[in-house]
Amino acid sequence: MTTNYKLKKLNAGRDYIADNYQAPLSLSDIAKCSCMSPYHFLRVFKDTYGETPNEFLIRLRVEKAKRMLITENWNVSEVCEKVGYISLGSFSSLFLKQVGMAPTLYRRKLWSLSTEVYRFPSQAIPACYAYHFLGKLAN
Amino acid sequence: MITSIAHATIYVLNQDEALDFYKNKLGFEVGDDMKVEGGFRWLTVHPKSNSQLQLVLAEPKEGPMFTKDSAEKIRSLIEEGAFGAGVFETENCQKTYEELVAKGVEFMQPPTKQLYGVEAMGVDNSGNWFSLVQR
Repeated sequence: MTTNYKLKKLNAGRDYIADNYQAPLSLSDIAKCSCMSPYHFLRVFKDTYGETPNEFLIRLRVEKAKRMLITENWNVSEVCEKVGYISLGSFSSLFLKQVGMAPTLYRRKLWSLSTEVYRFPSQAIPACYAYHFLGKLAN
Repeated sequence: MITSIAHATIYVLNQDEALDFYKNKLGFEVGDDMKVEGGFRWLTVHPKSNSQLQLVLAEPKEGPMFTKDSAEKIRSLIEEGAFGAGVFETENCQKTYEELVAKGVEFMQPPTKQLYGVEAMGVDNSGNWFSLVQR
């Protein structure tokens, strides 16, 4: 099997996760998209992308949640559901682990820094870009 | 000691169109797509197998760094093909070239043997040229 072919199959599984992050996903369903056994898929995925399918899914969900918390007015429970978690407790602890603060605190902190409602503050992007595009220097 | 490069900028004419190109033609993934205060859209993409280097797709607009005139000049230069997006690596230049051509990506040079590998030269939908290299 050529490396390109393998990568194409793996990408099909990765795309499946990205397209269905808001739904409950099982490793066997994802592996099926790549025509691999769950164990083989898990191993090759980790070797190729440097993270497991589950770590990729969590990262994706947390990134989506961060965006929703800032640019939408949904409460944390709604955001939790929209990114595919049933348990608010699991979502909050994963968010805390990835971001370093609870979802509510993240929202409060970034909203307080931004001069516009439902927009990320300039501090959320690298300072050289904030300076270049927004003329803002970090305080 | 500097250990890696995290972000590099590609100036594009339209962020939506550039996102469509990098995501749906080149097969990149979106890193960040955030609405930032001041009307700025922070949009980054990266190859699926490597999220360490994020390419920032930015439109040259009038602002703190560019006057209206200089932003327009940069846009003209992009359209003229004065800028390059860089070098993208692949494991099989010929195959990737064929896949991208089938998706409608324009190439100025088909896969050609060079001293450092096999290289094709393409152009994004803003006018930035890029190399596709197999080492």
